[in-house]
Amino acid sequence: MRVAMGILLLSLAAAGTAAAAADAPHAAAARSSPQGDTWASIAKLPDWSGVWDFDYSAAAPGGGLVRPAPPHLTPEYAAKYAAYKERQKHGEEQQTSTANCVPPGMPQIMAQPYPVEFLFTPGKVTVAIEAYSQMRRIFTDGRKHPEDPDPTFQGNSIGHWEGDTLVVDTVGFIPTSTIAPGVGHSDQMRITERIRKISDDVMEIRQTIVDPKVLTEPYVSVKHYKRHKDWDIEEYICSQNNHDSADPEGRAGFKIQE
Amino acid sequence: MKVSIRTGCALLTLALGATTAVAHHSTAMFDMQHTVNIKGTVTQFDWTNPHTFIYMEVPNAQGVQEKWGIEGMSPNYLNRNGWTRHTLKPGDKIEMTIHALKDGRKGGFCASVTFPDGKVMYNLPHRG
Repeated sequence: MRVAMGILLLSLAAAGTAAAAADAPHAAAARSSPQGDTWASIAKLPDWSGVWDFDYSAAAPGGGLVRPAPPHLTPEYAAKYAAYKERQKHGEEQQTSTANCVPPGMPQIMAQPYPVEFLFTPGKVTVAIEAYSQMRRIFTDGRKHPEDPDPTFQGNSIGHWEGDTLVVDTVGFIPTSTIAPGVGHSDQMRITERIRKISDDVMEIRQTIVDPKVLTEPYVSVKHYKRHKDWDIEEYICSQNNHDSADPEGRAGFKIQE
Repeated sequence: MKVSIRTGCALLTLALGATTAVAHHSTAMFDMQHTVNIKGTVTQFDWTNPHTFIYMEVPNAQGVQEKWGIEGMSPNYLNRNGWTRHTLKPGDKIEMTIHALKDGRKGGFCASVTFPDGKVMYNLPHRG
Protein backbone atom coordinates (compact mmCIF):
# COMPACT_ATOMS: atom_id res chain seq x y z
CA MET A 1 0.00 0.00 0.00
CA ARG A 2 2.77 2.36 0.98
CA VAL A 3 4.60 1.47 -2.28
CA ALA A 4 1.44 2.01 -4.32
CA MET A 5 0.92 5.44 -2.75
CA GLY A 6 4.55 6.28 -3.48
CA ILE A 7 4.16 5.35 -7.15
CA LEU A 8 0.95 7.34 -7.37
CA LEU A 9 2.62 10.38 -5.89
CA LEU A 10 5.59 9.98 -8.21
CA SER A 11 3.22 9.75 -11.19
CA LEU A 12 1.41 12.87 -10.10
CA ALA A 13 4.69 14.66 -9.61
CA ALA A 14 5.89 13.57 -13.06
CA ALA A 15 2.66 14.68 -14.69
CA GLY A 16 2.92 18.00 -12.90
CA THR A 17 6.50 18.43 -14.04
CA ALA A 18 5.60 17.74 -17.66
CA ALA A 19 2.73 20.22 -17.58
CA ALA A 20 4.82 22.91 -15.91
CA ALA A 21 7.75 22.30 -18.24
CA ALA A 22 5.51 23.01 -21.21
CA ASP A 23 4.76 26.58 -20.12
CA ALA A 24 7.88 27.35 -18.08
CA PRO A 25 11.15 25.72 -19.13
CA HIS A 26 12.81 26.45 -15.81
CA ALA A 27 9.92 25.32 -13.64
CA ALA A 28 11.97 22.53 -12.08
CA ALA A 29 14.59 25.04 -10.94
CA ALA A 30 11.80 27.26 -9.68
CA ARG A 31 10.27 24.52 -7.54
CA SER A 32 13.56 23.85 -5.79
CA SER A 33 14.23 27.56 -5.15
CA PRO A 34 12.95 29.54 -2.19
CA GLN A 35 9.95 31.52 -3.48
CA GLY A 36 9.74 34.15 -0.76
CA ASP A 37 6.26 33.01 0.21
CA THR A 38 7.03 33.25 3.94
CA TRP A 39 9.34 35.49 5.99
CA ALA A 40 11.59 32.46 6.56
CA SER A 41 11.76 31.87 2.81
CA ILE A 42 12.50 35.56 2.17
CA ALA A 43 15.62 35.20 4.35
CA LYS A 44 16.95 32.72 1.76
CA LEU A 45 16.53 35.13 -1.18
CA PRO A 46 19.54 37.06 -2.51
CA ASP A 47 20.47 40.37 -0.88
CA TRP A 48 19.02 43.07 -3.13
CA SER A 49 19.04 45.78 -0.43
CA GLY A 50 19.95 49.35 -1.24
CA VAL A 51 18.78 51.15 -4.34
CA TRP A 52 19.80 50.45 -7.93
CA ASP A 53 20.54 53.19 -10.46
CA PHE A 54 20.36 52.57 -14.21
CA ASP A 55 23.97 52.49 -15.49
CA TYR A 56 24.29 55.03 -18.31
CA SER A 57 28.06 54.64 -18.66
CA ALA A 58 29.29 53.94 -22.16
CA ALA A 59 30.55 50.49 -21.23
CA ALA A 60 27.23 49.28 -19.85
CA PRO A 61 24.82 47.42 -22.15
CA GLY A 62 21.92 49.69 -23.02
CA GLY A 63 23.60 52.64 -21.33
CA GLY A 64 25.56 55.66 -22.48
CA LEU A 65 26.60 55.40 -26.08
CA VAL A 66 25.76 51.71 -26.44
CA ARG A 67 22.27 51.76 -27.90
CA PRO A 68 20.34 48.51 -28.23
CA ALA A 69 19.62 47.45 -31.82
CA PRO A 70 16.23 48.74 -33.01
CA PRO A 71 13.33 46.27 -32.94
CA HIS A 72 12.44 44.33 -36.09
CA LEU A 73 8.95 45.46 -37.07
CA THR A 74 6.07 43.94 -39.00
CA PRO A 75 5.17 45.82 -42.22
CA GLU A 76 2.22 47.50 -40.48
CA TYR A 77 4.35 48.87 -37.64
CA ALA A 78 7.33 49.65 -39.90
CA ALA A 79 4.96 51.93 -41.85
CA LYS A 80 3.78 53.53 -38.60
CA TYR A 81 7.40 54.09 -37.56
CA ALA A 82 8.24 55.68 -40.93
CA ALA A 83 5.28 58.04 -40.52
CA TYR A 84 6.50 58.91 -37.00
CA LYS A 85 9.98 59.76 -38.34
CA GLU A 86 8.37 61.90 -41.04
CA ARG A 87 6.31 63.83 -38.47
CA GLN A 88 9.51 64.46 -36.50
CA LYS A 89 10.89 66.38 -39.51
CA HIS A 90 7.98 68.78 -39.13
CA GLY A 91 8.48 69.52 -35.45
CA GLU A 92 6.02 66.93 -34.21
CA GLU A 93 6.82 63.92 -32.00
CA GLN A 94 9.57 65.88 -30.24
CA GLN A 95 8.07 65.13 -26.85
CA THR A 96 5.95 62.41 -25.34
CA SER A 97 3.28 62.80 -22.70
CA THR A 98 5.96 62.31 -20.02
CA ALA A 99 6.68 66.02 -20.58
CA ASN A 100 3.11 66.52 -19.28
CA CYS A 101 3.99 64.32 -16.29
CA VAL A 102 2.15 61.21 -17.50
CA PRO A 103 4.33 58.25 -16.46
CA PRO A 104 5.63 56.18 -19.39
CA GLY A 105 4.47 52.77 -18.10
CA MET A 106 6.21 49.51 -18.94
CA PRO A 107 8.72 48.93 -20.38
CA GLN A 108 10.17 52.48 -20.44
CA ILE A 109 9.64 53.04 -16.71
CA MET A 110 12.47 50.55 -16.07
CA ALA A 111 15.03 52.65 -17.97
CA GLN A 112 14.79 56.02 -16.24
CA PRO A 113 17.76 58.03 -14.94
CA TYR A 114 16.52 57.49 -11.39
CA PRO A 115 17.01 54.54 -9.05
CA VAL A 116 14.68 51.66 -8.20
CA GLU A 117 14.39 49.59 -5.02
CA PHE A 118 13.22 45.97 -4.60
CA LEU A 119 11.09 45.22 -1.55
CA PHE A 120 10.38 41.64 -0.51
CA THR A 121 7.25 40.70 1.45
CA PRO A 122 5.68 37.22 1.52
CA GLY A 123 4.35 36.35 -1.93
CA LYS A 124 5.29 39.66 -3.54
CA VAL A 125 8.22 41.69 -4.84
CA THR A 126 7.44 45.39 -4.99
CA VAL A 127 9.57 47.65 -7.16
CA ALA A 128 9.66 51.22 -5.89
CA ILE A 129 10.59 53.46 -8.81
CA GLU A 130 11.76 56.99 -8.05
CA ALA A 131 10.84 58.40 -11.49
CA TYR A 132 7.25 59.68 -11.33
CA SER A 133 6.95 57.97 -7.89
CA GLN A 134 5.82 54.72 -9.50
CA MET A 135 5.34 51.23 -8.05
CA ARG A 136 5.33 47.79 -9.66
CA ARG A 137 3.83 44.78 -7.88
CA ILE A 138 5.21 41.39 -8.90
CA PHE A 139 3.16 38.55 -7.41
CA THR A 140 5.25 35.51 -6.48
CA ASP A 141 2.51 33.64 -4.60
CA GLY A 142 1.75 31.25 -7.44
CA ARG A 143 -1.28 33.04 -8.80
CA LYS A 144 -1.96 33.30 -12.53
CA HIS A 145 -2.61 36.45 -14.58
CA PRO A 146 -6.27 37.45 -14.66
CA GLU A 147 -7.97 36.05 -17.77
CA ASP A 148 -8.75 39.54 -19.07
CA PRO A 149 -6.59 42.02 -17.16
CA ASP A 150 -7.46 45.71 -17.23
CA PRO A 151 -4.77 47.56 -19.18
CA THR A 152 -2.50 49.43 -16.75
CA PHE A 153 0.71 51.47 -16.92
CA GLN A 154 2.82 48.75 -15.24
CA GLY A 155 0.82 45.77 -16.52
CA ASN A 156 0.04 42.65 -14.51
CA SER A 157 3.23 40.97 -13.27
CA ILE A 158 3.66 37.37 -12.11
CA GLY A 159 7.08 36.27 -10.89
CA HIS A 160 8.94 33.24 -9.63
CA TRP A 161 12.48 32.62 -8.43
CA GLU A 162 14.90 30.37 -10.31
CA GLY A 163 17.75 30.25 -7.83
CA ASP A 164 18.99 33.84 -7.49
CA THR A 165 17.11 35.03 -10.59
CA LEU A 166 13.67 36.60 -10.39
CA VAL A 167 11.73 35.78 -13.56
CA VAL A 168 8.84 38.14 -14.25
CA ASP A 169 6.08 37.75 -16.83
CA THR A 170 4.01 40.87 -17.52
CA VAL A 171 0.87 41.38 -19.63
CA GLY A 172 -1.97 43.91 -19.87
CA PHE A 173 -0.58 47.34 -20.80
CA ILE A 174 -2.15 50.71 -21.55
CA PRO A 175 -2.34 51.27 -25.35
CA THR A 176 -0.15 54.39 -25.21
CA SER A 177 3.05 52.85 -23.83
CA THR A 178 5.89 52.24 -26.26
CA ILE A 179 8.43 49.49 -26.91
CA ALA A 180 10.90 52.10 -28.22
CA PRO A 181 10.48 55.70 -29.40
CA GLY A 182 7.89 55.66 -32.18
CA VAL A 183 7.13 51.95 -31.71
CA GLY A 184 3.80 51.23 -30.05
CA HIS A 185 2.43 47.84 -29.09
CA SER A 186 -0.70 45.75 -29.45
CA ASP A 187 -2.88 44.01 -26.86
CA GLN A 188 -0.64 40.97 -27.38
CA MET A 189 2.55 42.48 -25.95
CA ARG A 190 4.18 40.31 -23.32
CA ILE A 191 7.35 41.22 -21.40
CA THR A 192 9.63 38.72 -19.68
CA GLU A 193 12.35 39.97 -17.37
CA ARG A 194 15.17 37.94 -15.87
CA ILE A 195 16.55 39.94 -12.95
CA ARG A 196 19.74 38.89 -11.17
CA LYS A 197 22.91 40.24 -9.65
CA ILE A 198 25.97 39.60 -11.83
CA SER A 199 28.26 40.92 -9.08
CA ASP A 200 27.65 42.24 -5.59
CA ASP A 201 26.90 45.73 -6.86
CA VAL A 202 25.60 45.19 -10.40
CA MET A 203 22.07 44.06 -11.23
CA GLU A 204 21.30 42.81 -14.72
CA ILE A 205 17.81 42.96 -16.16
CA ARG A 206 17.41 40.94 -19.34
CA GLN A 207 14.15 41.95 -20.92
CA THR A 208 12.44 40.12 -23.77
CA ILE A 209 9.41 41.67 -25.45
CA VAL A 210 7.17 39.68 -27.76
CA ASP A 211 4.26 41.12 -29.71
CA PRO A 212 3.24 39.18 -32.83
CA LYS A 213 1.36 42.15 -34.31
CA VAL A 214 4.35 44.52 -33.94
CA LEU A 215 7.59 42.53 -33.78
CA THR A 216 8.85 39.92 -36.25
CA GLU A 217 11.17 38.52 -33.58
CA PRO A 218 11.51 38.92 -29.80
CA TYR A 219 13.07 42.25 -28.83
CA VAL A 220 15.79 41.55 -26.26
CA SER A 221 17.56 44.21 -24.26
CA VAL A 222 20.01 43.96 -21.36
CA LYS A 223 20.45 46.73 -18.84
CA HIS A 224 22.72 47.13 -15.84
CA TYR A 225 21.92 48.89 -12.58
CA LYS A 226 24.51 49.94 -10.00
CA ARG A 227 23.87 49.48 -6.30
CA HIS A 228 24.02 52.48 -3.98
CA LYS A 229 23.69 51.28 -0.40
CA ASP A 230 23.72 54.82 1.00
CA TRP A 231 20.95 56.22 -1.22
CA ASP A 232 17.22 56.26 -0.58
CA ILE A 233 14.35 56.49 -3.03
CA GLU A 234 13.28 60.12 -2.95
CA GLU A 235 10.03 61.89 -3.72
CA TYR A 236 9.36 62.79 -7.36
CA ILE A 237 6.06 64.60 -7.87
CA CYS A 238 6.28 65.59 -11.50
CA SER A 239 3.37 68.05 -11.39
CA GLN A 240 4.99 70.02 -8.55
CA ASN A 241 6.66 72.62 -10.80
CA ASN A 242 6.60 71.48 -14.42
CA HIS A 243 7.61 74.04 -17.04
CA ASP A 244 7.63 71.58 -19.94
CA SER A 245 4.83 70.32 -22.13
CA ALA A 246 3.91 68.33 -25.21
CA ASP A 247 0.91 69.25 -27.37
CA PRO A 248 -1.23 66.45 -28.89
CA GLU A 249 1.13 66.25 -31.89
CA GLY A 250 4.19 66.09 -29.65
CA ARG A 251 5.47 69.62 -30.20
CA ALA A 252 7.64 70.76 -27.30
CA GLY A 253 6.55 73.61 -25.06
CA PHE A 254 8.51 75.48 -22.39
CA LYS A 255 7.07 77.97 -19.89
CA ILE A 256 9.64 80.49 -18.63
CA GLN A 257 7.60 82.36 -16.03
CA GLU A 258 5.96 80.94 -12.92
CA MET B 1 28.74 92.35 -23.44
CA LYS B 2 27.24 89.94 -20.96
CA VAL B 3 26.41 87.12 -23.32
CA SER B 4 29.09 85.04 -25.04
CA ILE B 5 28.87 81.95 -27.19
CA ARG B 6 31.25 79.02 -27.06
CA THR B 7 31.48 75.76 -28.92
CA GLY B 8 33.78 72.82 -28.50
CA CYS B 9 34.27 69.14 -27.84
CA ALA B 10 33.48 69.52 -24.13
CA LEU B 11 30.03 70.73 -25.05
CA LEU B 12 29.35 67.65 -27.14
CA THR B 13 29.97 65.63 -24.02
CA LEU B 14 27.42 67.71 -22.19
CA ALA B 15 24.94 67.34 -25.02
CA LEU B 16 25.26 63.57 -25.05
CA GLY B 17 24.87 63.52 -21.31
CA ALA B 18 21.76 65.60 -21.58
CA THR B 19 20.06 63.34 -24.07
CA THR B 20 20.42 60.40 -21.76
CA ALA B 21 19.93 62.03 -18.39
CA VAL B 22 16.93 64.26 -18.96
CA ALA B 23 14.24 61.61 -19.04
CA HIS B 24 11.19 63.66 -18.23
CA HIS B 25 11.34 65.39 -21.60
CA SER B 26 13.50 65.60 -24.70
CA THR B 27 15.89 68.50 -25.18
CA ALA B 28 14.30 69.43 -28.52
CA MET B 29 13.59 73.03 -27.50
CA PHE B 30 17.17 73.75 -26.38
CA ASP B 31 20.25 74.31 -28.53
CA MET B 32 22.29 71.39 -27.20
CA GLN B 33 25.13 71.97 -29.68
CA HIS B 34 26.11 75.34 -28.24
CA THR B 35 26.23 77.11 -24.92
CA VAL B 36 25.68 80.72 -23.98
CA ASN B 37 27.04 82.38 -20.85
CA ILE B 38 24.78 84.73 -18.94
CA LYS B 39 25.92 86.83 -15.99
CA GLY B 40 23.56 88.32 -13.47
CA THR B 41 21.75 88.04 -10.15
CA VAL B 42 19.66 85.14 -8.91
CA THR B 43 16.13 86.22 -7.99
CA GLN B 44 14.61 82.79 -7.21
CA PHE B 45 15.75 79.15 -6.98
CA ASP B 46 13.01 76.50 -7.08
CA TRP B 47 14.27 73.21 -5.55
CA THR B 48 11.42 71.21 -7.08
CA ASN B 49 10.57 68.30 -9.34
CA PRO B 50 10.57 67.46 -12.15
CA HIS B 51 13.27 70.13 -12.50
CA THR B 52 14.95 72.81 -10.47
CA PHE B 53 14.28 76.26 -11.88
CA ILE B 54 16.46 79.35 -11.59
CA TYR B 55 15.23 82.89 -12.21
CA MET B 56 17.88 85.51 -12.92
CA GLU B 57 18.08 89.19 -13.74
CA VAL B 58 20.62 89.67 -16.50
CA PRO B 59 21.62 93.09 -17.86
CA ASN B 60 21.47 93.28 -21.66
CA ALA B 61 23.93 95.19 -23.86
CA GLN B 62 22.14 98.45 -23.02
CA GLY B 63 22.35 97.72 -19.29
CA VAL B 64 18.60 97.04 -19.00
CA GLN B 65 17.78 94.17 -16.61
CA GLU B 66 16.06 91.24 -18.32
CA LYS B 67 14.46 88.30 -16.54
CA TRP B 68 15.66 84.83 -17.54
CA GLY B 69 14.20 81.45 -16.55
CA ILE B 70 16.57 78.49 -16.57
CA GLU B 71 15.64 74.87 -16.08
CA GLY B 72 18.01 72.53 -14.24
CA MET B 73 18.28 68.89 -13.31
CA SER B 74 15.95 67.55 -10.61
CA PRO B 75 16.74 67.92 -6.89
CA ASN B 76 16.91 64.09 -6.77
CA TYR B 77 19.75 64.11 -9.30
CA LEU B 78 21.50 67.24 -8.01
CA ASN B 79 21.56 66.31 -4.34
CA ARG B 80 23.43 63.14 -5.32
CA ASN B 81 25.97 65.40 -7.06
CA GLY B 82 26.78 67.93 -4.38
CA TRP B 83 24.01 70.49 -4.75
CA THR B 84 21.56 71.45 -2.01
CA ARG B 85 18.53 73.74 -1.95
CA HIS B 86 20.89 76.37 -0.50
CA THR B 87 23.40 76.22 -3.38
CA LEU B 88 21.73 79.29 -4.93
CA LYS B 89 19.80 82.04 -3.21
CA PRO B 90 18.29 85.37 -4.24
CA GLY B 91 20.98 88.03 -4.54
CA ASP B 92 23.76 85.63 -5.59
CA LYS B 93 25.89 87.05 -8.41
CA ILE B 94 26.68 84.20 -10.78
CA GLU B 95 27.70 83.39 -14.32
CA MET B 96 25.74 80.55 -15.82
CA THR B 97 26.51 78.41 -18.86
CA ILE B 98 23.26 77.41 -20.52
CA HIS B 99 21.83 75.70 -23.56
CA ALA B 100 19.52 78.48 -24.74
CA LEU B 101 15.99 78.08 -26.05
CA LYS B 102 15.97 77.78 -29.84
CA ASP B 103 13.00 80.13 -30.12
CA GLY B 104 14.98 83.11 -28.83
CA ARG B 105 13.06 83.65 -25.60
CA LYS B 106 15.15 84.28 -22.49
CA GLY B 107 15.36 80.78 -21.13
CA GLY B 108 17.34 77.59 -21.39
CA PHE B 109 18.81 74.60 -19.62
CA CYS B 110 21.59 75.03 -17.05
CA ALA B 111 24.92 73.31 -17.78
CA SER B 112 26.98 74.86 -14.98
CA VAL B 113 27.18 77.78 -12.56
CA THR B 114 30.35 79.77 -11.81
CA PHE B 115 30.51 81.70 -8.54
CA PRO B 116 32.50 84.94 -8.02
CA ASP B 117 35.30 83.00 -6.28
CA GLY B 118 35.74 80.85 -9.41
CA LYS B 119 34.04 77.76 -8.01
CA VAL B 120 32.06 75.83 -10.64
CA MET B 121 29.02 73.69 -9.87
CA TYR B 122 27.99 71.37 -12.71
CA ASN B 123 24.33 70.76 -13.37
CA LEU B 124 24.43 68.49 -16.39
CA PRO B 125 26.61 65.36 -16.18
CA HIS B 126 30.22 66.38 -16.45
CA ARG B 127 33.36 64.35 -17.08
CA GLY B 128 36.77 65.32 -15.80
